[in-house]
Amino acid sequence: MGNRHRTPYVPGTPAPCLTVRPLEGCRGVRVAGDICLATRTIWERVLEQAVREGEAVYHLELSEVTFVDVAGAGALAAAAGRLEDGRRFVVRRPPPALCRVLDTFWPDLSTIEVSMT
Amino acid sequence: MSAAAEPRETVSGPFAHPALFYRDDQEYLEGTVPFVREGLAAGDPVAVAVPGDRLRMVRDALGDAADTVRLLDMREAGRNPGRIIPGVLRAFADAHPAEQRVRIVGEPVWAGRSATEYPACVQHEALINAAFRGRTVTILCPYDAVRLSAQVLADAHATHPTVIPAGARPARDSEAYAPDAVVARYNEPLPLVVDAMTFPFVAQSLASARYAASDEGRRLGLTGVTLEDLVLATAELTTNSVVHGGGSGVLRIWAEDGHVLCEVRDGGRMTDPLAGRRPPSRDQRGGRGLLMVNLIADLVRVHTGDEGTTIRCWFTR
Repeated sequence: MGNRHRTPYVPGTPAPCLTVRPLEGCRGVRVAGDICLATRTIWERVLEQAVREGEAVYHLELSEVTFVDVAGAGALAAAAGRLEDGRRFVVRRPPPALCRVLDTFWPDLSTIEVSMT
Repeated sequence: MSAAAEPRETVSGPFAHPALFYRDDQEYLEGTVPFVREGLAAGDPVAVAVPGDRLRMVRDALGDAADTVRLLDMREAGRNPGRIIPGVLRAFADAHPAEQRVRIVGEPVWAGRSATEYPACVQHEALINAAFRGRTVTILCPYDAVRLSAQVLADAHATHPTVIPAGARPARDSEAYAPDAVVARYNEPLPLVVDAMTFPFVAQSLASARYAASDEGRRLGLTGVTLEDLVLATAELTTNSVVHGGGSGVLRIWAEDGHVLCEVRDGGRMTDPLAGRRPPSRDQRGGRGLLMVNLIADLVRVHTGDEGTTIRCWFTR
């Protein structure tokens, strides 16, 4: 354990960020970074766009997401709940905590498919 | 079999919450098994959430009927008392139509509960009354009248509107019933721990607070899911401080006996005693953070007042 985290916040500490890039070969995006209070607006915009796209299957590649808080999982569940019949999100390689939160609060959400490949 | 009907007869509203005082195994079974059997005979869904040794006793006494009862080891399902209302009681009750009576035997207080756990246990018992007001539910809570202290037994009279005295049935109204006073009395200060990793945070440093919790948790011996839980709890508590608790707070992490503890202090005051214990409606957007903390931590203690709020969580190493 280094001492760097013992010091209180000082201006200049890098803020968490979330980057979003289109996926090649299928509809969806690759998201990287932290899904938390600071990036919630970006994450909700990503999900808003995903719902609007209208594709039957929309991929959310999350292997480079390091953390998702409960509100971030809630935003995903809410967006998935707005998908019409026959549509779904495929969530690829999410951080384990996201699966735990989804299993805890939305265990029977049929419009989210978690893929570990 | 006459004992089983008594809790229902003494309540005015649909919700019944009797404390059953027992002195030995026989009184335990005489108080609980007829309650279960009568429920099954009436077609009521029945759950029994009691410590494992008691659970085996009830299961054996029920015989084949045990197959239709939801059996839960309270030492596991209710290790954190803050988890019991959302994770055990309402999880079971809410799975059935509102007009159907649900019966639950729930034993959250047993002789092995530590002094650290007890305030959370007794607050939980008091809050059951608010959490189930108006619901068609009976929750029967056994209390070991021999091994529990006089204070614990007195508290049970304050947290239960109805009591079934040991060996002196029938049930009667509890004259000492005062659940709000119990919640307030056990809102005990959590003294500052000096020898801890200390991290003051504001909105811009929430991520750093999370990394600090991860590093310190790992250093103190947490791994895998438990380490993830510590990080998730830290994120939820610190975010709550920023959003609801005055915009800043102080995170502390340290080890104590077999646990790693995570504590967040802020300047806010919690006004809803059921915060973190109410299962959210499916479509509710926010408000799940503290509930998640209650579901994953081995113990959660809260102190709140004009001077601020402290939430402390235990994770077993």
